[in-house]
Amino acid sequence: MNLVRTLLSRAGGWLPGLLAALVLSIATAHAAGRDTLVVGMELAYPPFEMTDTAGRPTGVSVDLAHELGKFLGKKIVIQNMAFDGLIPALKTGKIDLIISSMTANAERARSIDFSDPYLSTGLCLLVGKDSPVKGIKDLDQPGRSVAVKKGTTGHAWAGKNLKKARVLVLDKEAAAVLEVVQGKADAFIYDQMSTYQNWQKNQATTRAILEPFQKESWAVGIRKGNGDLRKKVNAFLADFRKRGGFERLGDQYLKEQKEAFKKLGYPFYL
Amino acid sequence: MNLLFAPHDSREGGAIPLPARIVGGLCAFLLVALVFAYAFHSLQYHWGWESVYAYRQKFINGWLMTLAISAAALLMSLVIGLCTALAQRSHFLPLRYLSKLYIEGIRGTPLLVQILVFFYVVADAFGVGDRYAVGVITLSLFAGAYISEIIRAGIESVGESQLESGRAIGLTRPQIYRHVVFPQAFRQTLPPLAGQFASLIKDSSLLSIIAVSEFTLNAQEVNAFTYSTLESYLPLAAGYLVLTLPISLLSRRLEKKFRYET
Repeated sequence: MNLVRTLLSRAGGWLPGLLAALVLSIATAHAAGRDTLVVGMELAYPPFEMTDTAGRPTGVSVDLAHELGKFLGKKIVIQNMAFDGLIPALKTGKIDLIISSMTANAERARSIDFSDPYLSTGLCLLVGKDSPVKGIKDLDQPGRSVAVKKGTTGHAWAGKNLKKARVLVLDKEAAAVLEVVQGKADAFIYDQMSTYQNWQKNQATTRAILEPFQKESWAVGIRKGNGDLRKKVNAFLADFRKRGGFERLGDQYLKEQKEAFKKLGYPFYL
Repeated sequence: MNLLFAPHDSREGGAIPLPARIVGGLCAFLLVALVFAYAFHSLQYHWGWESVYAYRQKFINGWLMTLAISAAALLMSLVIGLCTALAQRSHFLPLRYLSKLYIEGIRGTPLLVQILVFFYVVADAFGVGDRYAVGVITLSLFAGAYISEIIRAGIESVGESQLESGRAIGLTRPQIYRHVVFPQAFRQTLPPLAGQFASLIKDSSLLSIIAVSEFTLNAQEVNAFTYSTLESYLPLAAGYLVLTLPISLLSRRLEKKFRYET
């Protein structure tokens, strides 16, 4: 009994120290070094952000990040995290840049800065094959349900503009597509390229209405007050475009979509 | 009077004098508060409560939904758990093995997968489209498997000799369960049951993956809209605590009440 009490009181001596050390190490655990840039993205958005069969990050944004590293002479570390965790991570300094097919919009611009846009796309619809829905106007009716992916611009748009329809908020793109495939949701609001792909994968059950009802463009996210880095990123994007880098990435990862969009007459630029 | 030490055996629980309870409780609270105060103090974070406050109705709606889902699942899982616990002791072998299969299958697989499979595969095949109903049933089946094992352990904690004594004085099987087994098993199962119910409430957050608009999903949405992570999630933690604390308090009270009866 006495032994236990002595042990406990001894432990009491170093326990606060241990706790303080623990708290301190968490508080100072910033990933960024001087010569590395930590780029945050959610590796769940092929072909822009994904992993190869060995689990290594790959895709348009990953290549773009490494090109940026080459341009700036810095080492690039890719940090995989949930899309809605990217901005908080950037704000708290856990990552230095966001390259995650993120749309530059006014709400986000209030908490972070954006580079010049590097890709333009728009929100459109994936609907059931036999659905009578012709466009976004048919959707905002009582009894209709619309699937969105949490934290995307489609989610924000639906929250603001859909007053009568029910909005189903899903964590995963695949689940949102499944809702449409099974007829549980009338439509899935998402960007043009993914909608095209999801339609290609589910041609027997879905139909894509690719005409964008809301235009948007993607940009690199940068912490506020980091104007120097922003200038460098913009310089890189301009240089990369001049060298035909985006063209090359598009041919490498998005050949089929590029041709399809050209055929359909929708603008596509990467 | 010693303010910091009490005898080990808490059966004399009521005997701890009030000042000692206050001092002890305050010490524990201060220690925890100190650690968190330091952690939050060293955090470089720009708080923005106003933007989150604008979404307070979303928090309230989500909290009520979680309350409703949890209450329904709590009752249903208790029924399922009780039935399968008894079925495990059934003389009819297919029933016994069915409940064993259910328990091992449910306890050995992730709730996330169960929710997805039940909603998108099983419920779809049977034409059940209501995600809230499917959510409650899945959650009840999940918690029911654990509750079943808790109840079984409670029943089996009553020694074989007591059952034999019951038979010896001429009690029937239902009578033995009613008068000998259940009163004792009840007290044994209370603490783990309270823990399981608290888990159930927190596990209901996983229903967000099938777009059930409960507390966690609503907080995540607010976070997605306002980019204020901590301001969205700290109220979330408090909201769950409000739901789980009464359960453990009630369980403590019941434990005390049934202490002398058995």
